[in-house]
Amino acid sequence: MSQARAAQAETPGLDGLSLRQRMELQFEIEQFLYAEAAMIDGREYRAWLDLWTDDCSYWMPIRRTVTLSDIEREFTKPGDMSFYDDNKNSLAMRVAKMESGSAWSEDPPSRTRHIVANVRILGITGNETTVEVAFMLYRSRLNTEENMWVGRRVDRIRRVGDDLKLCGREIYLDQTLIRATNLSTLF
Amino acid sequence: MDLERKPGEAPSKSEICSYFDPSDGTLDRRVFADQALYDLELKNIYARAWNFMCHESQIPNTGDYFITYIGEDQVIVVRDKQGDVQVLLNTCRHRGNALCRAEQGNAKSFVCSYHGWNYDLNGDLIGVPGLSSYYRKDFDKSQWGLAKAAQVDHLHGFYFATLDPETPPLYDYLGEVGRIGLGMLVANGPVEVVNGVQKNVIDCNWKIAVDNLFDWYHVQYSHASAGNSGILDIAAILHPNNQMVMFGEYGHAISGPVIPPERQAEIDAMSDEERFAVTVAKMTEDPNRLPQPLRMSFAKDMLGPTGVRCMGHPNIFPNLWVSTGGTQLSLRLPRGPFETEIWWFTVLPKAMPEEMKKKQVAFITHLFGPAGLLEQDDGENWSQSTRASRGVGSRGYRHHLAMGLGHDEVLYDERGAARVETAISEHAQRWLYTNWMNWLSADSWAEIKANHPALPKGRV
Repeated sequence: MSQARAAQAETPGLDGLSLRQRMELQFEIEQFLYAEAAMIDGREYRAWLDLWTDDCSYWMPIRRTVTLSDIEREFTKPGDMSFYDDNKNSLAMRVAKMESGSAWSEDPPSRTRHIVANVRILGITGNETTVEVAFMLYRSRLNTEENMWVGRRVDRIRRVGDDLKLCGREIYLDQTLIRATNLSTLF
Repeated sequence: MDLERKPGEAPSKSEICSYFDPSDGTLDRRVFADQALYDLELKNIYARAWNFMCHESQIPNTGDYFITYIGEDQVIVVRDKQGDVQVLLNTCRHRGNALCRAEQGNAKSFVCSYHGWNYDLNGDLIGVPGLSSYYRKDFDKSQWGLAKAAQVDHLHGFYFATLDPETPPLYDYLGEVGRIGLGMLVANGPVEVVNGVQKNVIDCNWKIAVDNLFDWYHVQYSHASAGNSGILDIAAILHPNNQMVMFGEYGHAISGPVIPPERQAEIDAMSDEERFAVTVAKMTEDPNRLPQPLRMSFAKDMLGPTGVRCMGHPNIFPNLWVSTGGTQLSLRLPRGPFETEIWWFTVLPKAMPEEMKKKQVAFITHLFGPAGLLEQDDGENWSQSTRASRGVGSRGYRHHLAMGLGHDEVLYDERGAARVETAISEHAQRWLYTNWMNWLSADSWAEIKANHPALPKGRV
């Protein structure tokens, strides 16, 4: 059995659900993630911040070009250096920076488009659903600068009352050397 | 005022010596946008200087390697079977293919993916497929080992290499100011590099990225939004009137805040336990912010009476920045006149408590690197400055780097370190470009030594 098929068959927390329940959950999660992407692209950073729980984590490790024999060292680990290692507090600092009126790396603002695809529910534990997505983030800045970041995200989404909230995001880029002036956008 | 050279022709010595005028602090913009000048920089500066490779903790075991650069020469920094650090040019002697295509890792030997030539960790050629059948044994392997750096040496475990056998020994090359720069990294004891080097590319000339590290003038404006975010109290870190610039031979310099003598006297009176307690107390006051740990008492002997007060940014010529009070190293690697790779290494004391290490790593990640709240705003300034050096009209206007020129008196300490204690200024940038002209116009190390600017005296 392929790895992808195996993962599907053994999805914890999903086996007891009917096909209809699974489809409803998939739909709800996808719509939530699309709405979240639209908030960033629409520059509604304060509203975006409110989607995150107070105990959230937001992390993008460093990826390295390594040989197959060193493949377990491809990504840095928690506690190592990373590009983002944020909690609610530091995400709030990023938003405050963008609202300050002097965040020159985003004024004139970048134009971004988050494409979220290949949404797969990896598991459900209590009120938390773990979802893997493939993303493509396009950024255009000034008249000439273009960046394309593609990768895999693992999001943890928590049901809080009637709402869904983000409580964790791991961002695994497909590029190693960051071919960009900065990472002033949100992933 | 416009280029009179033919395309591709290197600038003459007299042209080079006109680029920066130390008497009025103006700089010709052409230095940021000229392929022939850039090619000369690779030859006369990068191939002759001691270039930072990596720290010993990044390659602890036999076969551990880290790929980096001397100018545009890619090199393999590897620990060989004798435990020595070798710096090998990453290019097969047969047809030039890169031997290592990963950024780091562990290898038993280096095998070329083109025809299978196999090199030992010390660069010796140990295997050539078809030696008897195709070469008919008419080939001397001993003559075709990997090319090596001419010299490799380290200070405090920070390895450097040069392609020039005439380059003075590392210790002498660094001089007092370069040694203070590296000493700041180990002022709280032996260190190791935290796993993970952040790397990104900015479309700017490398010299703008280098001279910016001396520039404490831009902090209040470029980085105002980092202050608004709450990660930094810009006013508190800036100390605009407590600034020091140290001048080192061959272009090394340190620029930035200085601990006032009265405050240093208070620190000197404290035991190491008391210093550590102050650092811990300040850390718990505000979890978002991290004070620089007070240096331990041994640091005064190592850094000297001036170096121990130094809270600024050293640059080890040409392109190694010691940052954030000695917890990070940043390389500005040239990639043509219009591109620079920025690499960040994070360096922490081995004995630092785990909880404090975690906070340091988090703080540093929020501050620097391409996503850093501080650093995000730098790159576009540099790329736009570089871009504006290309227009026929704009490149005729020289940059102004005259802040503080003629207003400060050079002081010397008992170790012979030259400095000014002053307000925010552009003394270090002037020192950088004055020395850069000497490097670029010299044909050999003998000439660099003969003509390099003497440490300044009197009024600067």
